[in-house]
Amino acid sequence: MSHDATTFEVVAREICVARKLAFGSLVGSGAFKHTFQVTKGDGVQLALKVYKADSERTAREVSAITRCNHENIAKFHELGNWTTAATSYTFSIEEFLAGGTLSGRLTAGALDATALANLARSLAAAVEHMAGLNLVHRDIKPDNIMFRTAAGPLVLVDFGIVRDLKESSMTQTWAMRGPGSPYFAAPEQLNNDKDLIDWRTDQFGLGVVVTIAATGSHPYASALGGNDPMTVIDRVANRVGPASWFTDWAKGARMTWLVRALSPWPVSRFTKPADLLAVLAGEI
Amino acid sequence: MSVYHQMGNDSFNLIGDMPSYVGAILSPVNDDMDAVAAIVRKTALRTSFELIFDPQLYFPRSQRGQLGTWNYFPKDVDTADVTSESWWHGVNDELIRTVAALGISKVCSPACFADTMPDDRYTFDVECTRQLCDSASKNSIHVLQTAIVRLPEVAQADRPMRIASILSRTAASGLYVVFHGEGRPRDALADTEQLKGAMRLLAALKEAGIPVLVGFAGPEIVLWKAAGAADFATGKFFNVRRFTRSRFDEEEGGGGQLPYWFEEALMTYLRDSDLDRVSRRNDLSLASLANPFGQKILEQKKQNPKAAWIKLGWRQYMHWFGDAEARIQAGTLDIESHLIKAEQQWVALDEAKVLMEEVRNNGAWVRAWRRALVEYKKTGP
Repeated sequence: MSHDATTFEVVAREICVARKLAFGSLVGSGAFKHTFQVTKGDGVQLALKVYKADSERTAREVSAITRCNHENIAKFHELGNWTTAATSYTFSIEEFLAGGTLSGRLTAGALDATALANLARSLAAAVEHMAGLNLVHRDIKPDNIMFRTAAGPLVLVDFGIVRDLKESSMTQTWAMRGPGSPYFAAPEQLNNDKDLIDWRTDQFGLGVVVTIAATGSHPYASALGGNDPMTVIDRVANRVGPASWFTDWAKGARMTWLVRALSPWPVSRFTKPADLLAVLAGEI
Repeated sequence: MSVYHQMGNDSFNLIGDMPSYVGAILSPVNDDMDAVAAIVRKTALRTSFELIFDPQLYFPRSQRGQLGTWNYFPKDVDTADVTSESWWHGVNDELIRTVAALGISKVCSPACFADTMPDDRYTFDVECTRQLCDSASKNSIHVLQTAIVRLPEVAQADRPMRIASILSRTAASGLYVVFHGEGRPRDALADTEQLKGAMRLLAALKEAGIPVLVGFAGPEIVLWKAAGAADFATGKFFNVRRFTRSRFDEEEGGGGQLPYWFEEALMTYLRDSDLDRVSRRNDLSLASLANPFGQKILEQKKQNPKAAWIKLGWRQYMHWFGDAEARIQAGTLDIESHLIKAEQQWVALDEAKVLMEEVRNNGAWVRAWRRALVEYKKTGP
């Protein structure tokens, strides 16, 4: 465990004592936060997230998740601050997602048709909810898609780079790339086209995730299973459009909605979240 | 698929017997609030006739005509920060109060012209329109978002899709697109890349399900229609003038004092003597010969050659506009083959050494239109 993680764990244990929670274990760590599994007195498992305080990223994530209230978005219980002799931290207590990540499930192979349909509809519902709050997640990827239980519903997590469209962007215009995981990012993110970012940016990420969950390949890869990640990212950034193998596959799989969702320009994707949900209800 | 009358100076009566016009875009430049209220009263019983109010703040520091008499016209326009959303919110609120008081159910969002229109400028307009929609919905007023699109900008490769991506975020029920060219008011739009870019923009918006009304339109309606725009507005001045900055610097009426005939066979305007030359060769189109106002002009020229026909000319053009839109819609006027014939007819005129009065009235734009249409069809939006 890194020095950073050790420090966070000390803080997490102190919070557990103060909140009468049983400390469990570290279940995830990133540059800005560490997540621990903890247990309430009644046996209910929770996720304790400890953030470096005063970071804009923390404020953004906490602000976003406290505004959301949706089955496919992690449930939020409490927000607080914790100060040690040397440092201040922010912490949140959220539901614990015991079902693992989509990344973990994909290691066993592609999803079947039923699971794929659930994935698409659940993600679209979460994105619709966020769009209603003027929020754009901007980092939809298998690592950020978890499950409540082994058979339970999908939950979108990690709002660290969420964008509130009512607030000015924090990304500098001179940045070569906007924030997000490049392999799953939309062209407007990769090109840092801030004025083109809206819920349709998440729609693109959703499309990439569903395609990978079904085929194992990125829809902009020139061949099924082909292209290294950097080549794929360049193809997305250059807005070459989805590959022909992908459009053929989508037609055969009766998932042509994916072709539209993965259009290189937002105007060519579904205009409103309700449009996408309606198509998903009918097509798959 | 509808045609609206873009109101000019005292022009409302021009469409009295033109059923193809389903409504009018009201102008606060030519009419004060009392005059507009009179039009609203006059049309109150015509249930299928729609009035749309265009606040015309394109150049807000210009108090043209009656514009300065309107309540919503900002009194601090010379000192205000027009890049401030809150300033526009104040204008929006006053505009909605004005439109509600008039009993008009549709309004175009205020938008002002800028020398360049970068992405953030379109975003700014989308956000200002969102606030206007909030205010309008409380008064059961529908909003069209005004989108001023500079034609030289849409000639750039990605610009149409970029602009369409931002505009398609609008909270309004549709867009009121105003194409702004930099040519002389009397010249036809003739830059193929600009035309193609404008068509790509319109097509992308149509594909996104955003209804578009193209304002200040002229005969190039044939291209906008091919690209999928839903509705169009034209007016008497658009037989010879279009939306350019100079139009807002000059006195209204300055370019419209000569009579013009719109000839579909050539897709051009003909002066009186041009009409005689083309008519003698039996080159007038069947559409022109069937145009009731065209028939009146020809009859009047026969009976009383010296009599003025400027007003009939306006009506002849406006009838053509509505009629052509309907025929394209019905599939009886195929734009591509029609432009081929028009070009051939210009060649025939040239070979016969039949020259029009105005030096630039040579049909050169028909080739640009054909190229724009063909190349647009090849690549699509």
